[in-house]
Amino acid sequence: MLERIARDRIATLFLVTVAVLLAVGLAAPGFLAPRTASIIWSNGLVLMLVALGIFPVILTRNIDVSGGSILGLSAVTLGLSLNAGIAMPVAISMALGAGIAAGALNGFLVAVLGVPSIVATLGTLGLFRGVMLITTGGEWIEDLPEPLKMLGARSFAGLSVVGIVAAVAILVVWLFLRSRRGRWVMVTGDNRAAARHLGLPVKRIEFLAFVWAGVMASVAGITFAAQIGFVPNQAGSGIELRAIAALVLGGVSLLGGVGSVAGVVIGVIFFTSIDTTLVFLKIPAYWNDLIGGAMLLGVLLIDGRLRIALEARDRAARYRRGDQTSSTTRKLEDAA
Amino acid sequence: MDPVLAELTSVSKSYGPVSVLKKVDFSVRAGEVHALLGGNGAGKSTLMKILVGLVPATDGQVHIGGQPLSPVTPAQAQAMGLYLVPQEAHIFPNQSVLENICVGLSKPAAAYRARIEALIAQIGVALSPDTKAATLEIADRQIVEILRGLVREAKVLILDEPTSALTPHEVDTLFSRMRALRESGHGLVFISHKLHELRAVSDRITVLRDGYVVFSEMMSDSADADILAAMSPGVTALDARVAGKAQSKDILLSLKGMSGEGFVDISFDIHKGEVLGLTGVVGAGRTELAETLVGLRMRSQGKVTLDGTPFVAKSPSEAVRQGVVHLSEDRQQYGLFLDAPLFWNTSSFVYDRLPFFLRPGRERARFDSYRDMLGIKCASPDQPVSSLSGGNQQKVLLSKCLVAKPKLLILDEPTRGVDVGARNDIYRIIETLAAEGTSVLLISSDFDEVVRLSDRIAVMAGGYLAGALPGGASTDEIAELAFEAGGLAHA
Repeated sequence: MLERIARDRIATLFLVTVAVLLAVGLAAPGFLAPRTASIIWSNGLVLMLVALGIFPVILTRNIDVSGGSILGLSAVTLGLSLNAGIAMPVAISMALGAGIAAGALNGFLVAVLGVPSIVATLGTLGLFRGVMLITTGGEWIEDLPEPLKMLGARSFAGLSVVGIVAAVAILVVWLFLRSRRGRWVMVTGDNRAAARHLGLPVKRIEFLAFVWAGVMASVAGITFAAQIGFVPNQAGSGIELRAIAALVLGGVSLLGGVGSVAGVVIGVIFFTSIDTTLVFLKIPAYWNDLIGGAMLLGVLLIDGRLRIALEARDRAARYRRGDQTSSTTRKLEDAA
Repeated sequence: MDPVLAELTSVSKSYGPVSVLKKVDFSVRAGEVHALLGGNGAGKSTLMKILVGLVPATDGQVHIGGQPLSPVTPAQAQAMGLYLVPQEAHIFPNQSVLENICVGLSKPAAAYRARIEALIAQIGVALSPDTKAATLEIADRQIVEILRGLVREAKVLILDEPTSALTPHEVDTLFSRMRALRESGHGLVFISHKLHELRAVSDRITVLRDGYVVFSEMMSDSADADILAAMSPGVTALDARVAGKAQSKDILLSLKGMSGEGFVDISFDIHKGEVLGLTGVVGAGRTELAETLVGLRMRSQGKVTLDGTPFVAKSPSEAVRQGVVHLSEDRQQYGLFLDAPLFWNTSSFVYDRLPFFLRPGRERARFDSYRDMLGIKCASPDQPVSSLSGGNQQKVLLSKCLVAKPKLLILDEPTRGVDVGARNDIYRIIETLAAEGTSVLLISSDFDEVVRLSDRIAVMAGGYLAGALPGGASTDEIAELAFEAGGLAHA
C-alpha cells in the first residue's frame, strides 16, 4: 500500500484530498454531501479547462502563460457579440474562433519562428489582454442574456452543460494520449531531437498543442461568462499560473514528456477543494493563498522524500550481488 | 549490376564560409554493404544526415530509388525507405523500450511487440521491452537504435558506428543480421573507425577526408595500408605496442576486498607509472568500480590505500584533491559542458582552486598549452565544445583531467567514438603520462586497445574479478576470462 502511494504521485494526492475533505466533514457536519462534490466540480471547471489546455503544451516541453488572457479575450468576444444581438451559436463559434486564432499565433511564434515559448507567450499574455481592454474600452460587460447563463446552471443530475463539456474534454484528452499520435506529443517533449530524427512532424505537433491550449482557454472563457453572468476586465487574470501549479502538483513534469490526465484532474480538484472547504469553514478569503501554498509545498515535499527513499531501495536491489549472482545472471540470459 | 537504391550526386555542404563537403558522390546498391570511413570531421556524419533529410544540402542532388528526395525531411526519407541509426542513440527517457522503438511507425506499439521480442532474441541481448529507457546503459541504448532500424525494414539502413558500445559477441550477431539483410536485397551503409570490422562485412569502401572522396574501391581490392593512407596521410597503422617497459615496484593504489554497487570483493594493486587495463564485457561492474573509487557511488566494503595511507573519497572533488581523477565513459552526459567554451571545460576540475575573480586570460593560456600538447584542433578557446568532433571532444576531456595533476588517472572508455588518427594521439598521451610517473587505470571494452596499452590486465566478469593477465596477453585469453565467469549463456 505504502509502496503504491510512494510510486504514484496521483495516489498520494488523492489520499491527501480525501483526508482534507474528511477532516473538514468532521469539523463541519453537513459538508460531506453530494451537493458539495457538485459545488467543487463547478467551482473548478474554469481551472480544469485551462489546465487541460496547457497540459499538452507542457508535455511537448513548452509552456503557455497566455491562457488567462485568451480566456478573457474569448469571454469578451462572446459577451460583445451576444449583447450586439448575434445568435448564441454564432457568438460561441466566434469566441472559439478567437481562441483558435490566439493559440495559432502562439504556435506560429514558437513552432515556426522558433521563439522560446516562455518569451512568446509572455508577450501574447500582454497582447491579448490589451486587445481585450481596447475592445471593451476597459468597461465590464454586464447583462449577458439568460440562455448563456443557463449553460452554467445545473440541469442534468447536478451537472451543468459546461460541466458536461469539461467531462467530455477530460475523456478526449485521455483517449488521445492513449492513441499513437498522442504518444507523439509525449515523445516530442521527452527528446525533441530524437522525435525529429524518427520523422515525427515536431513543428506541427508543437503548433497544434498551442492551438489546443487556445481552444480550451476559450471554452474556459465561455464557461466563465456563463457561470458568473458578466465579464469583468480582469477575467482569467492569473489563472494560468494556478493551472500550471495544479499540473505540477498532479505529476506533470515541466521538463516535458511526463504526465497523465488523472494527475491533471486530481491536481485541479485538490486546489478547488481547498478553496471550497475554506469557504465552508468561513475562513476569510485572504487566507486562501497561504493555506493553498502551504498544502502544495507539503504534498510536494512528502512526495519527493518518498520518491528518494524508494529510488535508493531500487538501486540497492539492482546492484545486489553476491552469492546469488550467477543464478540471477543466468536468469537474465535465459529470458533473452 | 544491382540497382542503385540511394544516390548522392555531387553534393556540397557549407556552413557559412566553412565548407564541409565538396562535390561528393556516393551511392548504395541493392545487396551491398558500403563502408564509409574517414577521420573525425571528415564529413561522414554530415553526408549521411543529408542522405536522410536531416540537413539540406547546399548543392547537388539526393535520389532515393530513382526519385529526388523532396521535401527534404527525415519523414520523407523514411517514407522512401531510408533509416539512419545514429552514433549517439536518441532515446526518449520516459518511455518504455518498446515505445522507443515503435514511435513513428504506422501502428500502435503493441502491434510490434512480438516482432521486437523475436529480434531481441535473435541479437541475443538481455533487454526487456517494458524497461523504462532512462535506466538503460549506453550499450542498450545503442541496441534500441539498431532495433529501430531493423524493425523498420528500411531498404537502405545506415549504421553510424553501431559497434562502439557493443561486446564482441553482440558485434558478431549484428554482423550476421547485416549479412542477412544484404542477402535479401537491402543496401547498407556501415560507418566505423575499426577497419577489421569494416572488412568483415563490407563489399565496397569509400573514404572521406576534409570533405572530399579520396578513395572508393571494392573492399576486396584494397589493402589496409592504402585505406589508412587515404584516410590520414602519414598514418599507416596504429602504432604498435611498446613492450618491455621498466616497471616500478612502488604501489600507488591498493584495493582490498572492495565491494559496492555492481561489484564484489575486488582486490588489485596499481603500481606507479603503470597502465593497468581493466576490461570485461559491458555490465561487468568496471564503471561502477571506478565511480565508487572517486566517490560517485557508495562503497559497501573493503579497504583502499593510496600511497600507503587509507583513501576514502566522499565526492569526486575530494578524490581530485587527493590526486585520483576520473574520466567518465559518457562524455556528452557526464564529461563535458557542451555549450561552454573550451577553456571553461579545461578548468572545470579545478574550479575550487581558481581565484575569486576569474582570470579568463590565464585560463585561455592554460587551454592553449594543452591544445598544443594534446593536438586539439579548434578555432579558438572560446568556441563551445559541442562544435568539435568526437576525437577532439575527447581530448578536451583529457585536458580537463590533466589540469588536476592526477597521481592516478582513471580512464573509462577513452577512445569511444574516436577515429584512428585521434586514437593514436590518445594512446601516445597515455603512454607519455605513464612514462612521467602517472598511474593509469584504463577501463575499456576494446580488448585490442587494452592489450595495446596495458602493462598488466585485470578482467572483470559479472561483478567479480575474473583474473589477471600480464601485459601483452592475447585478446583470446582476455575473452576467455571475460565471458567464462559471466556464464555466457548467449552461446
